[in-house]
Amino acid sequence: MARADILVGIEVGTSKVCAVVGEAGREGTMRILGVGLAPSRGVRKGEIVDLAIATECVHDALADAETNSDAEIASVSVAVSGSHIRSFNSRGAIPIPADRFEIDEEDVHEVAVKAREINIPTENHFLHSIIQHYFVDGQEGVLNPVGMMGRKLEADFHIIHGVKTRLQNTLRCIKENGIEIDEIVVNSLASAQAVLDQHQKDLGAVVIDMGGGVTDYIVYENGVVRHSGVLAVGGDHISNDISLGLRIPLTRAEKLKVEEGSTRLGVGTPGEMIVLKNDAGFSGKEVEREMLNTIIHARVRENFELIKKQIEQEIPPHALGAGVMLTGGCSLLRGIKDVAESVFDLPVHLARDADVSGPKSVLNNPQYSTAIGLIKFAQALRAEEEDPGLIGSVMQKLGGMFRRR
Amino acid sequence: MIPYPRSENPAAAPLDIRVIGLGNAGIHLADRLVMAGTPGVDVLVMNTDAQSLASSVAPRKISLGQKVTRGLGTGGDPEVGYEAALESRDEIREAVEGPGLLFLCAGLGGGTGSGIAPVVAETAREAGATVFTLVTSPFEFEGRRRSAQAAEALTALTRHSQALIHFENDRMAELAAPRSGIEETFAASDHTLIACILSLIEILRGGSPMPVGLADLLAVVGGGSARALFGRGEAIGDNRAHEALERALKSPLLDRGRLLGETHAVIAHLSGPPSLSFSEVAAIMRELTKHTADDAGLFLGVTTSPDPSAPVSVTILGNYSADAETPVVPAAPPTVRAEPKKRQPLPSPEPADETAPVAVAESKPLFPEAPAPEEKPARAARQVPPTPHEPKPAAPPAPQPKVKQETLQFESVARGRFEKSEPTIVEGEDLDVPTFLRMRGKTK
Repeated sequence: MARADILVGIEVGTSKVCAVVGEAGREGTMRILGVGLAPSRGVRKGEIVDLAIATECVHDALADAETNSDAEIASVSVAVSGSHIRSFNSRGAIPIPADRFEIDEEDVHEVAVKAREINIPTENHFLHSIIQHYFVDGQEGVLNPVGMMGRKLEADFHIIHGVKTRLQNTLRCIKENGIEIDEIVVNSLASAQAVLDQHQKDLGAVVIDMGGGVTDYIVYENGVVRHSGVLAVGGDHISNDISLGLRIPLTRAEKLKVEEGSTRLGVGTPGEMIVLKNDAGFSGKEVEREMLNTIIHARVRENFELIKKQIEQEIPPHALGAGVMLTGGCSLLRGIKDVAESVFDLPVHLARDADVSGPKSVLNNPQYSTAIGLIKFAQALRAEEEDPGLIGSVMQKLGGMFRRR
Repeated sequence: MIPYPRSENPAAAPLDIRVIGLGNAGIHLADRLVMAGTPGVDVLVMNTDAQSLASSVAPRKISLGQKVTRGLGTGGDPEVGYEAALESRDEIREAVEGPGLLFLCAGLGGGTGSGIAPVVAETAREAGATVFTLVTSPFEFEGRRRSAQAAEALTALTRHSQALIHFENDRMAELAAPRSGIEETFAASDHTLIACILSLIEILRGGSPMPVGLADLLAVVGGGSARALFGRGEAIGDNRAHEALERALKSPLLDRGRLLGETHAVIAHLSGPPSLSFSEVAAIMRELTKHTADDAGLFLGVTTSPDPSAPVSVTILGNYSADAETPVVPAAPPTVRAEPKKRQPLPSPEPADETAPVAVAESKPLFPEAPAPEEKPARAARQVPPTPHEPKPAAPPAPQPKVKQETLQFESVARGRFEKSEPTIVEGEDLDVPTFLRMRGKTK
């Protein structure tokens, strides 16, 4: 089979750098050819703190991906994250000149520019302006106004922006490897492409991507992005809490979290102890299981509560019919679903990627969903570029995503 | 008393059913179906390979893509299959028109099954038929390319068919004993597939006394490229109800009944002679519910055949959806979560006592707050109320100043690896400080 359309997504995460190579197929299908993975160093809370080391990690991941997929990587789509990323909803409005009344492509473009004409700090850079709805003469819920008659065109956008220099750090460590950048996509938006389908976006859903250094979340309502955000708390915090609370080294705490950690309280026998093995394999210190779980539980619950608070301000819970999708490495934590359920009071699912085919181990691992989402995002954008007449259909496919610049 | 023959009813509204066998695997299955003898079911086969078509016993045969493949098959390339399907689109459309219900059988992985099946399903759906797709995916040892092709076709088929029943060949191989001959292995696998089609037809033909409707069936097997759970058992004799269920559950496709616990809906179809008693049905169902999840939907269908010597048969059909494959074990009973009192009073003072000296001896103490002996009983008492569940609302506003001081004290030491990084301050709280430490300050 021809390998015409190779797309690569890379996420420079706090715990790992992950690159996914996919092949775009007919009718928007996606097949994963291979993945590359490298443990990440020089990244903290989703942002680069040591460029040279991070560049090396990116190189390792890309090389690994090239070997595994048997494809040559020239350009990638990259996911960005970090606490500096902010978002808000904004509306733009333009009058339609009296001599025509018919709305054309240019008007649509202009209204998008208008919506962006708001104050963001000068050092910040627009990442996405995602169309929510158009209003033609006050008529609500117009999806594609091109060709419609009206005197006034308004549009609601969800705008995501971040600090330019901090974004560039992530891009730098990819460009240093001689790789071109196709698209820059916010982490949460990319994850949502991988784990939500159109139906779930229409019903309303929250995607929470709890990674190593940060937790990204995004809210869809009626098929459009209503809210998004980044909380600079992730799995590293859990490990750090364990390390401080149980007084064990950080690396041991990390291992303990993965092997024994759970968010369930009161399930073990009272006073049950976990024996930690030291490097030589002999049993060493003992820690109480319930103590471990309490530390994890407290952190996870707090994290969800903070997110819930953010979401509640804008969107009522009943508008989120499809519930909460958990993804990212932390979603592998035992019992995390129960905590999310009790906090959000919504159905909670552990996300698995739909609509792509490839090695099962990749698709079932929530650690890859951002990178997979990236290539799906890039694929949809590419389809839009190739076929500008079908913007409407692409927009629907993407949940009303529309991006300029 | 005049007996009212309810069993004769099905003839009144016959359901038009057509089975299409596509590709070599599909033809193989269709042939077996014809030989098994299914009155009223229309069997049709399609292939790109004219030779295999010629040897089929099906009453209707359609050769696809004669220009593209010249009747020689696709050579395992789905692209060629797709081309062939486009060339023969009119023939396909003609073939799928008519029946309300269409079974599409194909083996995925090769060129014909993977390339053409999605097109057939799509066309049939456009023609207004309900499409049940029955596919097998290749053995693992057939290589990555074939399984990738199969996976791609599976995604497309999920979109175009109302119900997809997916059998993994790797699992099917477990149907026969490990040392049995290859013929026997394939025969066992075919036998299962045929049994599946036949019982689906039987279920849909339904009739008395408890029919399973098409909607029920779609609720169980509709949507998703999940793996099919299927088991069928027959038995006669005194203990027939129990034995039939046992045999059905023994199917490796159910993993000895274990997988039933992870599916959201199950159809159980029982059929038997007129002597099948209510208590037998009840006994089977009681036993079956032991294997299914508490919240799983259970659809029960019972049919009786007029033949008094017919065995009791139990058919179990479900879908093992990808969702269910989460690594998380089924949640702890919700009551545990609802009653926080059940929890242990957690960070009990004893382990702290044991570990504190060690920490002091080995390194600098991480918690300067730890060695304050007179404070300890108070703290232990504090931890008993279940406040950890609601850290913020539970915070009493009154002792605020004192709390602040304590938090400040933690801050200087308890940030661990985030010591030198930019602090994450949300709503006045430093999130880099462990939550349980901050909560301790609050609950004071």
